[in-house]
Amino acid sequence: MKRYRPTYFIGQAFSGLWRNGVMSFASIAVLMSCLVVLGSFTLLVANININLEALGLMNQIVAFVDDDMTEDDISRIEREIKSIPYVGNVTHITESEALDEWIEQVGEYGDLYEQFRDDNPLPDSFVLEYVDGAHYSDIMYNLGRIEGIESIRDERSLANTMQSLKNGIMLIFSWFLIVLFVVSVFVIINTVKLSVYSRKNEIEIMRYVGATGTFISLPFIIEGALIGLTASMLAYIVENFLYDYIQKSMADVVNVIKIIPLSDIRVVLFFGFAAVGIVTGIIGSTISLSKYTRS
Amino acid sequence: MIDFTNVVKTYPNGTVALNGVNLHIDDGEFVFVVGSTGAGKSTLMKLLLREEKATSGTIIVDGTDLSKLSYFKVPQYRRKLGVVFQDFRLFPKKTAYENVAFAMQVVGTPSKKIRRRVPALLNTLSLGDKANCFPNELSGGEQQRVAMARALANNPKILIADEPTGNIDPKMSLEIMNLLVKINKLGKTVLVVTHAKELVDYYQQRVVMIENGHVSDDRVGGMYNK
Ligand SMILES: Nc1ncnc2c1ncn2[C@@H]1O[C@H](COP(=O)(O)OP(=O)(O)O)[C@@H](O)[C@H]1O
Ligand SMILES: [Mg+2]
Repeated sequence: MKRYRPTYFIGQAFSGLWRNGVMSFASIAVLMSCLVVLGSFTLLVANININLEALGLMNQIVAFVDDDMTEDDISRIEREIKSIPYVGNVTHITESEALDEWIEQVGEYGDLYEQFRDDNPLPDSFVLEYVDGAHYSDIMYNLGRIEGIESIRDERSLANTMQSLKNGIMLIFSWFLIVLFVVSVFVIINTVKLSVYSRKNEIEIMRYVGATGTFISLPFIIEGALIGLTASMLAYIVENFLYDYIQKSMADVVNVIKIIPLSDIRVVLFFGFAAVGIVTGIIGSTISLSKYTRS
Repeated sequence: MIDFTNVVKTYPNGTVALNGVNLHIDDGEFVFVVGSTGAGKSTLMKLLLREEKATSGTIIVDGTDLSKLSYFKVPQYRRKLGVVFQDFRLFPKKTAYENVAFAMQVVGTPSKKIRRRVPALLNTLSLGDKANCFPNELSGGEQQRVAMARALANNPKILIADEPTGNIDPKMSLEIMNLLVKINKLGKTVLVVTHAKELVDYYQQRVVMIENGHVSDDRVGGMYNK
């Protein structure tokens, strides 16, 4: 039955890109920038998320025990903490474990702290987990009444700060992104329109001899998709360099912050960019064709 | 074959181009459509091609009611018609052969069939030796014949020619008209819009005159030598 050569459509699409070189280039550049911003923003949020998780800051309270408590006192305190309503898991961190963790966090020069092993300045502590934030103040009140607890670190507030920071970033970037995508689609619409216009006469003849809407539009849809694909591949390369650079410079400064390794996100980044790029391209070209595929 | 009943066409800007056209054309007829500029002849052709939709009234072509034709079926419908314009509308970067072949490729004709049919069509229109010429290497009459070959490529039932000799010198015009008559003899319904009085009188065919958006005269024979 119907035998259309796919090479015809792809050939037409490429010649369209070529014919409107400047506009095609502009579309690719704009869409690429848009994708880089989208990628950077997504990666930033993803990194904030894993740090939030890794630190386990969300629903935890750390209670530090007075340094002069005996073993008996410590087990009494543990019992009393466990009896507070709504407290879930309670983990006892001995002063020796606390030192291990400290040494590990400090990293390179951590071994220097080994000398404190026998005369440990760090206190024992209990990490309380609770499920429902509504009981937070009750738990804090009850904790304060237990004898032998020296201080309480409320890690929730830090988590909140990070969370609201994240929300703020997401809000700003969302708006920024919407604007950028609208601009991208707009530029692609005009590029494809120009391409359609330069082939106005051809399209008219095709319609008279009974070409279907699909046959006429496919080259232009492919043209839009090619713009999207090219932009996404370039964005992928740029994002790789960018992330690698940031990761390296961060690694020198702080090693407390966790950074998702590039190798973990490459595939997602690649296909994510390709999908968003191609879909944007197709949306742009479809909109610019609507006039010709109707009536 | 073609039936216009009380057809009115008002363009979006308010121009009333057709104002109650009634016209019946039988299968295999040859019809000249004449009338002064702006009378509505091209509009009539555009309605037939379903390039424009009638504002009111019905148009039935080969059993298809054009007002009920959905957008998706328009391409299929247009394959029943071949069109030729005053300005040829050939692809300048395709040869005569490629111009004709393209019309067949567009509707998905197998290339084997295209290779068989295109040379035959070009021969019918006496263009056998011009197959590899580009439009700018051909005379006006030759270009119009390529356009006719293209119009016939998908074997339409109806051939519509809107002032086909408008850009061609009188001697060549006769040749084009002869071919249109020949095409009609091959069994196709042929509609020719024209201003060429001598030709209309010469051929003694049915002549439909359009004036102010409606059919003012419809007779067989010459129109201008009353
Ligand atoms: N697309 C259009 N929009 C508005 N008015 C049109 C359009 N096409 C034709 N007309 C008007 O309709 C009338 C008939 O035009 P047309 O059918 O082209 O006449 P003809 O072919 O007989 O010269 C004219 O007044 C013309 O100006
Ligand atoms: Mg006209």
